[in-house]
Amino acid sequence: MSATRPVLSIFADFDDLLAAITALQAKKIEIADVHAPTFQPELLTALKLKRSPVRFFTLTGGILGILSGFALAIYTASQWHFIVGGKPPVPRVPYVILAFEFCILFSVLCNLGGMLLLARLPKHKLPAHYDARCTEDRFCMLLHCPVAERQEIGQMLRKLGAEEVNDLG
Amino acid sequence: MNQPAPKMTQRQVNDTIMAAMSPPTKEYYAWLALCLCGALIGGGCWAYQIATGLGVAGINHPTMWGTYLINFVFWVGIAHSGTLISAVLYLFGAPWRTPLARSAEAMTVFAVSIAGLFPFIHMGRVWIVYWILPYPNQRNLWPNFQSPLLFDVIAISTYLTVSLLFWYTGMIPDLAIIRDRAKGLRQKLYGFFALGWTGSQNQWRHYSLAYLLFAALATPLVVSVHSVVSWDFALSIAPGWHSTIFAPYFVAGAIHSGLAMVLTLLIPMRRILKLEEVITIPILENVAKTIIFTGLIVAYSYLTEAFIAWYSGNVAERGIFHWRAVGHYAPFFWLMVTCNTIVPLALYFKKVRTSIVPLFIISLLINLGMWYERFVIILSSPAHDQDPYSWGLYFGPTWVEYGILLGSFSLFFFLFLLFARFLPTVSMTELKEELTPRRRAQSQPKSGGQP
Repeated sequence: MSATRPVLSIFADFDDLLAAITALQAKKIEIADVHAPTFQPELLTALKLKRSPVRFFTLTGGILGILSGFALAIYTASQWHFIVGGKPPVPRVPYVILAFEFCILFSVLCNLGGMLLLARLPKHKLPAHYDARCTEDRFCMLLHCPVAERQEIGQMLRKLGAEEVNDLG
Repeated sequence: MNQPAPKMTQRQVNDTIMAAMSPPTKEYYAWLALCLCGALIGGGCWAYQIATGLGVAGINHPTMWGTYLINFVFWVGIAHSGTLISAVLYLFGAPWRTPLARSAEAMTVFAVSIAGLFPFIHMGRVWIVYWILPYPNQRNLWPNFQSPLLFDVIAISTYLTVSLLFWYTGMIPDLAIIRDRAKGLRQKLYGFFALGWTGSQNQWRHYSLAYLLFAALATPLVVSVHSVVSWDFALSIAPGWHSTIFAPYFVAGAIHSGLAMVLTLLIPMRRILKLEEVITIPILENVAKTIIFTGLIVAYSYLTEAFIAWYSGNVAERGIFHWRAVGHYAPFFWLMVTCNTIVPLALYFKKVRTSIVPLFIISLLINLGMWYERFVIILSSPAHDQDPYSWGLYFGPTWVEYGILLGSFSLFFFLFLLFARFLPTVSMTELKEELTPRRRAQSQPKSGGQP
């Protein structure tokens, strides 16, 4: 039997949410997730979330793109050693263009792939606690609240400005 | 160039933008039907050309590229500004970007798709188009990656892929908003494309950085794509084409035409979809100011191009530039100069750039001028090459080419009308981000809450 219960609190005001996060962190209550209608950098700082590693996916894609662009052009040119327009069969300068385009293409594909992987998307079903108001104008915070402290935490959140505190257990 | 965020609440932003997606009027369906007819005429002309042969088009030796390549370059140019407006202004944090960006990105996707059709149309036997792709085959034949035409294939397909993904990625949070308000099949459909977005902090954390990187990658791509298109010409040895100015000249021209097309699309759209509160006059004014800037770059390019021809001392180069101004196609040359460099000067007057009708007319004239710029560049050089016999032999487009041109414009507006009906034309999420999140001081005092 779990010693915690999921609790969803809904806030209309951003600074109430920030105050609630600070209070919960002081009490060492686990904040499972916070849903917001827009990107709020302050929220990431308050939740002590690190910078996304998606950039490493993008960089890897870029390097792979450059290598693939050159590899494709050099491989195909080396199949037939035709001299075209007086240029050597494997010229370097024109292939930079191909490598550049492949660099951008692979970077973008890896960037998107990395973002989807890290954000755990796509999801076929929305989580059970999801509240549609989070995409409108409300902030929704999911907690794993110790059963014994549920009442006390609920009261505290309401006092800090939560519009609703719903026990999802 | 600052544009204050509209005085709306977050819910009002959603309501306003989604109201534009409500069931449309009869007027909308009439326009949609008209555009569909135009697209079908274009499709019919293409089918006739396939059945009859490329001889039905006006192209003839040495003007083998004809209007199909003019249309290709024109539509690639239109495609340019969408991603540029969105990506560059996002990187610089320009507040007037938001109401324009989504429509401009859609414009890019549709325009580059239409541009991609023209090499197929020009090819004649379109069913063997896969020959230009690098795929393993029995004869071990590969495309020549030293050719600017192959650069073009790679650049345009990369641009289409990146623009489409940039557009779609930016739309994911908005699709979730629509999903959460919709019911039944509509909810399932938008839910499928929203990918299960919930706005959790884990999602926002990765999404925001990925989107920033998208913008950072799209910006150099935009510059490279039209540079590559310009090299289709500049890497040849034809007088009037073989010039180092072509890449920046084409990029500037593309931005100029793209901005004009943004105005051409947004001015009627804001009225039809009742988005005057979001796409405000100061935002259109900012686009107009940017057009003045790009118009001056284009004018400078025209002058520099002519100066290079004169200063080079090359007889053939001087000859082509003289012939452009006074030869067979001189009216189109002067139309180009007037529409692209003189007409935009009217935007110096605040009264002109803040009035809808003059702004719309100027945008149409710039579009016309930019189409003729491509006419002048692409036709005049081969039509006045080293063999004087062929000078002026090209008589202009045939009815088949005009039909396909009409079809391309109709298809573009048809796709845009569908976009305006089924997808949010303005990013709700980004518009909401510009509003300060609601603070306690702004809301009603709560019972039991702190003051």
